[in-house]
Amino acid sequence: MSRDLRMDGVLRPPEITFTFAGQPISARQGETIAMALWVAGQKALRNSSKDGAPRGVLCNMGICYECLVRIEGAPVRACMVLATEGLNVEPGGKS
Amino acid sequence: MSGARVLEAQVGIVGAGPGGMAAALHLARAGITVVLLDEGFRAGGQIYRQLPEGYDAGHRISEPPSHRAGNHLLDAVARERIRIVHGATVWNARPGQIYYEQNNESWLLACEQIVLAPGAYDRCVPFPGWTLPGVITAGAAQVMVRGFAVAPGQRALVCGTGPLLLPTVTALASAGVKVVAALEAAPRSAMWAALRGVIGNGARMREALFYARSLLRRGIRLQWGASVFAADGDGRVQSALIGKLDQQGAPRPETARRIEVDVICAGFGLVPAIELGLLLSCAARYDAPRGGHCLVVDEQQRTSVDSVYAVGEIVGIGGAEVAMAEGRVAGAAIAARLTSVSFDPRLALHARSERRAADAMLRAFQLRPGLFSICKPDTVVCRCEDVTSSQAAAAGELYGRTTRGIKMGCRAGMGPCQARICGLNLHDIFCDGVEPDLPVAQVPVKPVRTATMIDVPRR
Ligand code: FES
Repeated sequence: MSRDLRMDGVLRPPEITFTFAGQPISARQGETIAMALWVAGQKALRNSSKDGAPRGVLCNMGICYECLVRIEGAPVRACMVLATEGLNVEPGGKS
Repeated sequence: MSGARVLEAQVGIVGAGPGGMAAALHLARAGITVVLLDEGFRAGGQIYRQLPEGYDAGHRISEPPSHRAGNHLLDAVARERIRIVHGATVWNARPGQIYYEQNNESWLLACEQIVLAPGAYDRCVPFPGWTLPGVITAGAAQVMVRGFAVAPGQRALVCGTGPLLLPTVTALASAGVKVVAALEAAPRSAMWAALRGVIGNGARMREALFYARSLLRRGIRLQWGASVFAADGDGRVQSALIGKLDQQGAPRPETARRIEVDVICAGFGLVPAIELGLLLSCAARYDAPRGGHCLVVDEQQRTSVDSVYAVGEIVGIGGAEVAMAEGRVAGAAIAARLTSVSFDPRLALHARSERRAADAMLRAFQLRPGLFSICKPDTVVCRCEDVTSSQAAAAGELYGRTTRGIKMGCRAGMGPCQARICGLNLHDIFCDGVEPDLPVAQVPVKPVRTATMIDVPRR
């Protein structure tokens, strides 16, 4: 990513780190998993069940279930769960 | 039982947007105990979405004049110390009982009266490439900017139809995104029709003027009668094919041109989130200009179920002003029921006039049938189950051209979103001439952990 998508001049809480598919991702407190991954350039969150094509955030408000990822094996909507320090997030498999 | 907990209040309200908050405020001031359940992390709903705790953007994010009313409401709700449960996913409801999950715990809100104010979500129309990461709804883009002070990309296409495109464009621009094109699918005549409808409504006129000015200042031109035709890219959006639409709203291929963008924000109107109303057996009806199926209410916002009220988008898309006015009506009606104060009919009159202005505006932006031909035979229509347009059409031939028939034939609409995204499209693309089936709301209306459903709190 050539430019930080977080807007300039905005006061934000401190940085935290979690992992996605084992890779460290930095987030700001208060950001959802989906938001932090989007800013990190990671737009694909799961693969479609049929052709394996990448899928990511569509509605960003908990409606569409396109952003499913896994935490401790359980599917969650990345746009509705806050990123927290040390969280291990895996891509969602088939929906 | 382990995680099951019970909360009690006289009135339980679902949704802490303008409608839910206005109802809560009215009730709290009448001395009635209320609990607001909201899936977000802060009050405000989608329209008055606030940044997370600890953020301060000053005045960097563009705010239309109408948001002042929202800020007043948020302040008042905070002052009254109204209890809001955040991060609450409501998965089931019965009269007097609302079941929700919060932080992996199973909760029951026991209440005498229920107010439904769950709001709405974006209407999608499928087009080639719309499953690529980087194609998001207009609402999603607004969440990024207003909810997190994040720019959705560097170069954006905004497309779709309806009054929400303008706030999307201004939000993106204020976040520093280059809006490469802003395409409104409705013909220019819709603009005049919409403006005629809001004449006499001062607030709506001011709002329109605000957007006209801020687009002008930024040199962004809204193109009428134009749309996205396709999205392209390797694993993510890298470009979009856009062009003009004909009289019926169908794409004119000879006008197509490619633009380089890294995000496509598409919003083809809004759809009322009625599923909780359906679970509660509230009567609903189909109203295309109001966004689809809507709950039926009387002049006091009461549904066909005596102890259940509904306000705002769930009774038809109308915007924040309508939601607030109707929220006050529901609050006043319930207060009149539970205390000795009487109902002020002027509140209902005001709500009705806001509704009229909204209806006039929405009628102007109805989707024209030709638009659906941007969806090609191999375009995915149901994203959850990966069903393409040709598969859905074949299912319709075999099982009957109704959304129910199509579902049966190819599983379209049976995934975790419960047809929220594809349901109306299945109807509009494949079920010509028939009244759309009432959506089926299934428990849980939103997927929750199995443990939440088993470990149900009881009173
Ligand atoms: S993006 Fe739609 S549920 Fe998360």
